[in-house]
Order: sequence, then structure tokens, then C-alpha cells
Amino acid sequence: MKGSLYPVVWKELRDMARDIKTLVAISLLPLLMMPLMGVTSIYVQTLQQGVAVVINEDPGTLTIGNATFSTNDLANSIVAALKSKGFRVLNHSVRSYDIMIIIPKGFRANLSSFTKVALIKIVKSVGSAKSNEGENAVQSVLGSFARKVAEAKVRYLGVLAGKPVTPDSVLNPIVYTTVLVGPSGTAVSVEESFRVMLGRILAFSLVFVTTPSIAYITDSVVGEKERKTFEALLATPVPRWSLVIGKTLSASVIGLITGLADAVGLLLFFALPSMTYGVNLFSLLTPGLMAAHVSAVYLSVLASLALILPIVIRSGSYRVAQAFSLAIISVASVVFFISLYADINALTPPLRYVLYVIPYSHAVGMIKQSVLGEASQAAIHALVIIAEIGVLLALAVKLFSEEKIIYSKT
Amino acid sequence: MPGNGYAIRLEGVVKTFGRKVRALKGISFTVPKGVIYGILGPNGAGKTTTLRIIATLVRHDEGVVEVLGHRLPEERAEVRERISYLPEDAGLYHRLTGWENLLYFAMIYADDMESAKEMAARGAELARLPERDLHRKASEYSKGMSRRVALARALMVGADLVLLDEPTSGLDVFSAYTIRKTIKEFAIRSGTTVLMSSHNMLEVEELCDRVILINKGTIVAEGEPEELKRRANASNLEEAFIKLVGEFD
Repeated sequence: MKGSLYPVVWKELRDMARDIKTLVAISLLPLLMMPLMGVTSIYVQTLQQGVAVVINEDPGTLTIGNATFSTNDLANSIVAALKSKGFRVLNHSVRSYDIMIIIPKGFRANLSSFTKVALIKIVKSVGSAKSNEGENAVQSVLGSFARKVAEAKVRYLGVLAGKPVTPDSVLNPIVYTTVLVGPSGTAVSVEESFRVMLGRILAFSLVFVTTPSIAYITDSVVGEKERKTFEALLATPVPRWSLVIGKTLSASVIGLITGLADAVGLLLFFALPSMTYGVNLFSLLTPGLMAAHVSAVYLSVLASLALILPIVIRSGSYRVAQAFSLAIISVASVVFFISLYADINALTPPLRYVLYVIPYSHAVGMIKQSVLGEASQAAIHALVIIAEIGVLLALAVKLFSEEKIIYSKT
Repeated sequence: MPGNGYAIRLEGVVKTFGRKVRALKGISFTVPKGVIYGILGPNGAGKTTTLRIIATLVRHDEGVVEVLGHRLPEERAEVRERISYLPEDAGLYHRLTGWENLLYFAMIYADDMESAKEMAARGAELARLPERDLHRKASEYSKGMSRRVALARALMVGADLVLLDEPTSGLDVFSAYTIRKTIKEFAIRSGTTVLMSSHNMLEVEELCDRVILINKGTIVAEGEPEELKRRANASNLEEAFIKLVGEFD
């Protein structure tokens, strides 16, 4: 026991377990906030009623070959699509609206022509959140209508030319197929590619887990000094490495709790679109992905603690610790944000090597390689983070100065 | 080497903070083993700096510091094994109970859990707290109770040298009396060397076998309280201090 890690970890965990308010706050906040964000955003969307105006200035039908089209049917389809998106649809002009669709005079003549194009006018109100949603709905209807007209024209031209025509071969002369493959070259399903994307999103959530543990370890050092418990402890034979490691491991428990709560919160956040749009995102979560995520969370937290600890120990100041923790969280955010859109391994050398030095890049690498089934690559990333954490903690032990801690301004 | 007749030896010790603050200006004194030794002086005299140097927390710039036969700062680890230190206004871990506060420090010094519990039990006796108070969180303690536990934490570990920085500072009459009584009884019973600082002259006079008077980083006088009073032709140590220092701050 003497000279071991046990007393410090025993005290830190006991102290932490008694701090119920902090534990509840760090667990409940991410657990509730993420789903709450999901609920409110979806609920607010449903509450928001846009105003759309659909004006048909050229009612009637047109014929292409033996196919007949009606602008009234087109207008009705547009109205139905807009209503399905929660719009109140009017057929006359008003002063205030989100989107207006006009089928102008001469539309039928142009549409039935083989030399002109038919125009539909879409007017969007600037600053309207609903107008883009309405435009997408209208474009979908118009795309489908235009395709039918194009097919009719191709068929008619075939009849005039006296040749058999398949509209698809004219309208889509080239088709392509996309096959997703894993690192081994074997095909993977679309679901699995979604899993990789989910892994990236989970990796991005690591940004939020570092803050509470950094705050905890700062308080564990600076707060202990402020509460006048540190000086007596520093005069005991407790090894400095056991103080550094003990406080780091204990603070990492906070990070782990936050990480798990954050992951559950994130899953609940995803559950809402799953229920709303009928996509089962839960099926993408394999035990392997969850294990990789939890490991990456834990190592990211440890890395954050190892990064801040030498600074806290050297400065012994809340303000300095806060400034540096903000810098660390910003770096972590940048890395996780980059990882959402880019593959770190594929970046050009200077940037790639810079990112390789940052532990968070390897946390992302762990998750990405795990979802791709590359266990050995994931393990290498894990080992790199562990090595970096080891170096930083050794630095913290080396920089440990009782005098600096005692005399620094908190 | 350990075993010499003194517990502490300081020779020409200088400590400067920054470029301007010269906290200790070459102080020298020797503390014999088994005595209660007092460092007396006003605020800012250099008492705490001296104790911190001996407690291995601060490095001196010049001079020689030997504690229990070990040179500082080179043999800090050896010294830490054999001393205990109660800083001024030392706090407790307020989310832990009094018992847990004692047990934590006991675990740092003891080889196993059983010995740690025995040591903590010894601390509980020294703290003179009823059983139910001992298992209450330290945040619920009065200042006097907290100080008793903090003192017990320093005394229970079986150190060869106990360093106490202003152990009764800010306490009411009853709490200060209990603390002094505990220190006195502990020193008599265990024969441990105690080095304590104070600016309370009466307290030092009551507790200490020998005293140094320190002012502005310099030792003004050293000797037994009675001897210092005689030397200054004073009725108490407070008067002696003022006469020996020769000035009012």
C-alpha cells in the first residue's frame, strides 16, 4: 500500500462518489439534452406552417403522340406535395408567402414543342426556413412530370422515325453501378457504409466528453491547493507518479461516465429520426462498434487529461487551466470535425503528420478501423494514443514542483 | 548520518522569491532530538518558509539543511518517510468523513490496510472526536474539529519529526487549548521532536522547550523561553521579543 497508487485512487474515487450533484449533472445533461434537441427540432418543424401559392395560368391539357398531360393534374400534384410538408396552399397571390409556383401562360405550347422548353416559375421568400423544403417537394413533382413528358416525346419521335425506341436508352444512355468495398476488397453493404458514417458521428461526439473531466482534474489539483489539503499531502511520502496517475485515472472515470451518457444521448437523438423516417439506425450498432467507441472515448479522455495535467501542475491556476483546456478542446473539435469529412490517412504529408501527433486523430482511427473490421489497425491506433498518454504523464511527473504548486496564484 | 544528536540543522540558509523578496537571509539553528522547538515571529518573518524548506516543499537557494541526518533537497524522499507536516490552516477533504481523512493519510504511511486502520484509530484518539462525529463528513465540522483531525493526521503516523505551522491560528480559546494539550501530551508520551511556528508568544512559552525568535528572515535570538526572558529582562516572551527585536513594525 505504501508507495502505491491505491491510497490516491481510493481517496479520489470516494471523493468523486460523494459529489452526487456533479455526477448527476454530467450524466443527465448529455443524456437529456441530445434527445431533447431531437424532439424539439422535429416538433418545431411540425409546428411550422408555411404558406405556398400555386397559380396555374395555363390550365388545360396537351397531347404528345398518344399521351395526354394536364397542367391541372400537375398543379394538383404540386399542391398535394406541399400540403404533405405542412404548407397551407393558396391558389391566388397574397402579400406574404414562403414559396410561390407559377405555371405561366404558354406552358403547354412550349411543353408540347420539340424546339422549346417549358418554364415553371418558383419564387422563394428570402429568409424563409420553409421555402427550401417546399422547393424540394416541388422539384420532386416536376422531375417526375418532366420524365413522363420526355418519355412520351421519345416514343413519339420513334413512331415518326419508324424505328423501335426504348425511352430509357435515349434519356439514360449510360448507367453506372457503384459497389462499396472494404479494406480487403470485398463488397460491403450500404448498411455497413452507414455504420462507418455512424462511427464518424460517434467520434465527433467525443468533443463533448473532454470538458467535464478536464474541469475535474483541474479542480483536483488547483482545488485541493485552494482547500488547503495539498500542502500536507505533498510533505508525505506519497510518490509523485501516484498522485499524477491516481488523479488522472480517477478523473477519467468522470470522462467515461460522460462518454457513456453522451453515447446513449446520441443514440436517443438518432432514435427519433429512426422512428420518424422509418430508418432503423440501431441495427447499425454492433457490439464491436460500441466497444470501439467506448475505448476511443476513454482514451480520448485520458489523452485530454494527460495534455492538461502538466499545465495545471506547472501553473496551479484555474485561469491558465481554463485557457489551455479551451485550446485542447478546440484542437479536439478540429480533429473530430475533419474526421467527419476527410480521411486523415489520405491527407497530404505535412498536415497528415501534424494530425498523427494529436492523440484524437488516433481515437478517430480506432473507431474507423474497427467499423471496417481492421482490428489490428485499430489496435495500432490505440497503442499510439496510449504511448502519447504515457509520455505526457511522464512529463507531468517530471514537471511536478511542490514549490510552484504552493506559491502559484489560483 | 541519522543518529546524530539533532533532528534539524540549518546553516546559513537563504531563500529568495523572485528578485526582490529575500524571505530568509542566512538563518542557522539546530533542533535537538526529542524537544518541542518553537519558531516565533510576526507575520512575514519567514516562519512558514523555514518550515516548508524542512518539510521538503521548498528548495533553499544557499546554505545547508539537514533533517534527521538527511541532506535536503537531495534526500527528500528519505525525509518525507520520517516527517509529518501540518500547514497553517490545513484543510480536510470535506466530502470524506473525519475517519476517512485519517485513513487516507494512514494508507500513505502504512504497509497494509490493517496497519493503516490501526494508525487511523490512533489518529481518532488524538482527534478526541466522539465516534458519531468521526463518521460525519468533514464539511459538517467546526473549525476546531477540523483542526483537531488535521493535527491528529500529522501526529498519528509515527513520524520522527512533526512540523506544525501555526497550529492554533484562528481558533477560539477552547479549541486552541485542546490543540495545545494534545501536542504537549503527544510529545511527552512519544518523545517525538516537534518543530512548531507561532506568532502567539504565550503559546510558545507554554509549549516549547527551546525557541528561536525570527524577524524579517533573520534569527534575532535563540534559547529556552526563560533564558530569553532573562536576557531581555522581560516578564513574558512577548515583551522579550519586542525588546530583542528592538522595533515595532
